[in-house]
Parts: sequence; structure tokens; C-alpha cells
Amino acid sequence: MAQADADDVVTLSEVRKTYDLGGVVEALAGVSLSLPRGSYTAVMGPSGSGKSTLLNLVGGLDTATEGTVTVGGRDLSAATEGERAAIRGSRVGFVFQTFNLMPRLTAVENVAMPLVFDGWGRTERRERARDLLADVGLGERLDHRPTELSGGQRQRVAIARALAPDPELILADEPTGNVDTETGERIMSLLDDLHAAGNTVLLVTHERRIAAHAERIVHVRDGAIERIEELSD
Amino acid sequence: MDPRESFTIAARSIRSHKLRSTLTVIGVVIGIASVVTFATFGASVQAEVVGGIADSGANNVYVLGQPADEEGFQQALQPVFTEYDLDRLAEIDGVEAVVPRGTIPINAVTHRGDTVALQQATATTPEAVTDETLVAGRSFERGANETVLNRAAAEATFEENVTVGDEITVDRADETWTLTVVGIVNGTAGELPVGNFGPQPGLYVPADPFYESVVESPNANARLRAYPQATVISDPASTLAVTDAVETYLQERSDARQLAPDGVELVARTSGDFAEQISDVIDQITRFVTGIAVIALVVGAIGIANIMLVSVTERTREIGIMKAVGARNRDVMELFLLEATLLGAGGALLGLPLGLAVAWGATRYAEVGFAFAPVWSALAVLVGVLVGVAAGLYPAWRAARVDPIDALRYE
Ligand SMILES: Nc1ncnc2c1ncn2[C@@H]1O[C@H](COP(=O)(O)OP(=O)(O)OP(=O)(O)O)[C@@H](O)[C@H]1O
Ligand SMILES: [Mg+2]
Repeated sequence: MAQADADDVVTLSEVRKTYDLGGVVEALAGVSLSLPRGSYTAVMGPSGSGKSTLLNLVGGLDTATEGTVTVGGRDLSAATEGERAAIRGSRVGFVFQTFNLMPRLTAVENVAMPLVFDGWGRTERRERARDLLADVGLGERLDHRPTELSGGQRQRVAIARALAPDPELILADEPTGNVDTETGERIMSLLDDLHAAGNTVLLVTHERRIAAHAERIVHVRDGAIERIEELSD
Repeated sequence: MDPRESFTIAARSIRSHKLRSTLTVIGVVIGIASVVTFATFGASVQAEVVGGIADSGANNVYVLGQPADEEGFQQALQPVFTEYDLDRLAEIDGVEAVVPRGTIPINAVTHRGDTVALQQATATTPEAVTDETLVAGRSFERGANETVLNRAAAEATFEENVTVGDEITVDRADETWTLTVVGIVNGTAGELPVGNFGPQPGLYVPADPFYESVVESPNANARLRAYPQATVISDPASTLAVTDAVETYLQERSDARQLAPDGVELVARTSGDFAEQISDVIDQITRFVTGIAVIALVVGAIGIANIMLVSVTERTREIGIMKAVGARNRDVMELFLLEATLLGAGGALLGLPLGLAVAWGATRYAEVGFAFAPVWSALAVLVGVLVGVAAGLYPAWRAARVDPIDALRYE
């Protein structure tokens, strides 16, 4: 299966993740996968198949029970909490189904947030955040709070935030799950653009139509990869 | 992380719960305000009274009886210092004058048809009224129907101000005196330096003929006037020697030693002793109030800790978001600690002016000058900050440990 390659942004090898809540739940049962630089991968599978778990491990939000997860050459299981935080803040950008914006912060402040932890200066942060919001078409909504934005606009803020530290990898977990079909399409075309601009994208979805935007679809079931489907445009 | 940004975030989170934050810091406000109030008031009283005592009457030796087990100013009121004793004291080397002081119970005083109830007049000798203490007129003479009033009596007691030359009538249980006012004074020589917060109206009359406490003098074998207190005014250069000599006389040969009931100790105090005692009392009060303030601060700290724990729970999701975008445990810890610290500091900054204001009011009331205590004030603010830090530690640690995955799933 996937062998470590110098140009792979992410490598998972024999990754297992179990939750012990009285009985052991095996969320991932030995997954090996690599994401080449600039690739666009969708992970598809039924609910509870371990898609989010996989994404969280790649993003350094969680640690594997067994196996190794390497991001940009760094083995996350060997990383300290601080190093994993640094990876989350600067190497990967998360886009969540529920947006996960800070409710009291404005759009600009939300987008600038990762840069705060990455040690950027105040003016550089604001400038970068403004540029990114303009790129996702929210140049007019800079000082709005999440509650003053529509679902699609919120998700675009979240995408701008994910891009802020210029990450090596964009992780999107059901990014269209909370918006209508039309808005979903706009968000997908944004992700398409990011991919076209050279970004590596890992997308989790349970919808075929959304997964079809990627170059390949990894089908998972019960915590294991069922098959990998290469798509040609 | 950028300290300015931490500050902005923490301050914003406090502002978004204005009422809650305000209620939370009340404990700290009360604690800090009481410390500042009493530290400032204590410093003011100390500066005024103690300073005043030290430079007025530094050459006075106060002779009085005190209950033996008392440390404070309790003064035994038995008239034990006889005229015989006073004469012996006046013979000590370096003594310039001996001013006895006794009280005469009275009922009321009338001036130009205006009668005011007054409980006592002070019997003393003409030496009690000196050029330094006189505002107008002169001292009364021995054996004359004359009186001297202090300013409180002359200017703030009767409908019309009393001036030198006026007549007043003093009503007693069984007699009435008609006296001519010959002088107005601002205090009298040899007055005990205690208990004069807010001057009371004072009426001074010559002991001869008005003072009537008489005892059998064991040394003189005669009935003589006796006073509960006397002040030996010494030559400034020999106050110490005079104090010792007075003390020795009192213990060894005096009438007072034989007349004093059991449990009353005869003492010779200098103004320095009084200053020290007042300082001690102020210190005791300050310590007591500080104790109360510490309790208020502990309650304040618990309040802050409680509200911070609530805040951590409420903001679990936000903590998760921050962690997902790169916040380290340390950053989260810092943010919550800073928020608690700001609450503590805010409480201190509200408590400080409040305490100063109350202290100012108290100094007005006690008619002493206001003395700002900068060290105490700075300390109070520092304590507020420390209370915030202490209260924030555990909640901040809890916040730092929030698992981002759980937090992001948290609804
Ligand atoms: N923190 C947890 N504690 C216990 N079990 C968990 C935890 N997180 C995930 N699981 C379990 O792991 C399995 C995989 O969960 P995961 O969230 O990865 O599924 P998913 O494929 O993303 O599903 P969905 O499409 O519904 O989002 C599920 O059975 C889930 O119950
Ligand atoms: Mg999921």
C-alpha cells in the first residue's frame, strides 16, 4: 500500500484508533494512506465509518492509538502537545461542517486567529485576513460577527481562516453539510480553486456529488479503507 | 502569544458579561476598599494625632492613675493627687508648672438667656491658660468668679457667640454661679493628648474656690483638694529626668500611693508614650480590619474562581476552536489566567478609589487631615491582582486541558 514518499504531504501507516468506553469502539482499524503534494482526495463512507476520526488524526487534533501519522515529514505521535498545536496552527487548515467560528470575533478577527498563535504582528495579521476575505468574496463583510452572516458566508470565513497561515494541507469535514445545495456548490468551487492553485486538499463527505470534485475517492467502511477510486475529469 | 491580543480577547470576554463580571468582583472591591480605607484613615490619624502629640507638649509629663491591667488610655477617675502631692511635684528640679485637672458636675450653662445643657466644667489652675493657648483675653485668677471657655464653647454652643467680658450662669444641682468670661482658648496647657477628636465645648474655672473634691492627706494630715489627674510641665531639656523623678515620687512618698485603691497604678506618661499607645491602637484596628478584608478577599477569590469555572464550561467550544487553529495549552491557560487577573485588578481599581473616598469622609468626620498612604494603595492593587491570579489558576488549568475534539463536538 502507500509507501512514504518525499513528496507526500501526509502519510498514514497502519493507523488504528480505538475508544474505550466500557466496550472498545474501533473507529479506525489499520488505515494506510498517503496524500501527494497538490492532490485532492475525498474520503467517503457511511455515518460512523471513521471519516472524521481520520481527518482529526491527520490534523493533529487527536492522536492515533497505533501506527504513525506523518504530516510534512513530522511524525505526529512523537510530537509534543505544543508541536501538534503548532502543526494545527501553521501546516493544516481545518474547515468544519459547523463552521466553528469564534462567536464574539468579527470575520477579520476570526480569520486572523491562527496567525495570533503563529506569532504574526497585528497589522500583518489584519492585512492578510482582509486579503483572504476579499478572495472568498467577503471583502464587504470584514467586521461582521458570525451571527450577522449567512451559513455560506460563515463557511467562506472558515475557509479564509483555514488558508490564513498558508498551510500545506486543507482539511474539510463535510464543509457543505450545513448549507443548501447552491451555496454548497460555491464552497466546492472555492475548494476547487484552492486545489487548482496548488493546495493539497483532504475532503470528508458522505455525498457522491461532493466527493466527485476530488481527483480520487477513498471509500471507508467500519474504520477501514474499502477501495480507492481514481476519478478522471 | 501576542500579549496585546491576549489582553483584547480577555477584556472582550469580561465586557461581554458586564453584570456578571461586576457582581463577581464585588468581594474583591469590598476587600480592597476596606484595606485602603483603614490604612489611609489610620495613616491620617497617625500623622495628625501622633504628629501633633509629638510636637505639642513634648515637655509634658502626665500624671494619672490607670487600672493596672490596662494597656490603653483608661484613666482611673478617683481623685488621688492631693495639693500636697502637687506642691512636692512642683519642687522637683526642672519642673516649670504643675497643672491639676478635675471635673465639676454641672447641669446647664446660660448665656444671654440661652440655656444649654452641659455636664461638666473643668477645674484647674491659672497656669493651664498660657499665651500659646489663648485666643482672646487672659487667664482666670485664683479665687475669682471668672471662667475661660474654649472655642467650641464660645463659638459653636450658644445662639450668640460668647466674647470676653460676657457673663454666664452655671446651674448646678444645688447652686448657681455667675461667672465673668475672661478668656477664650484653643485647648489648654497640659491637656491629655487623647480623646480630642472633634473638640467638645469646654468650660474652665479656677479650682479655688469651685473644685470641691477633698480628701484627707496622709502626709499633711489635713483635708486637701485632690485631683484625678495632673500634668507636670517641665523644662524641655529635662523632661526625661523629670519623668523619672515624678515616677519615683509617686511610688515612694506620695499621698496618691496611699489613696489609690487596689488595682490602680500611678503612672507618669510623656506625650511620646501616648503617641506610642495611639499607634498601637491604630495598628490593632488596622490588623483587625485587615483580617476582615482578607476574608472578603478570599470570598472574592472564590467568586472569581467560580465564575471562571462557569466560563470555561461555557466556552469549551471556543477553547476547542482556538486549539484547532493552533492555540497551545499554554496560550489557553494564559488567556483564562489573564481574564481572572483582570477581574482581580478591576476589583482592586474599583476598590481603591472607593476606599480612598470612604477614608476621606472618615477623616473629615474625625476632623483630621487626609494623608494618602501610597504604599498601602499600591499593595492593595497588587493584592487584587494576586487574588485574580490565585483564583484563575485552577480554572485556567481546566481550560488548558480541554480536549479539542470533545470541545468541537460540544453543543
Ligand atoms: N470521542 C469518541 N468517543 C467514543 N467513540 C467515538 C468518539 N469519536 C468517535 N467515536 C466513534 O468512532 C466511530 C467513528 O466516528 P467518526 O466521527 O469518525 O464517524 P464519521 O465517519 O465521521 O461519521 P459521520 O459521517 O456521521 O460524521 C463512531 O462509531 C463513533 O461512535
Ligand atoms: Mg464525521
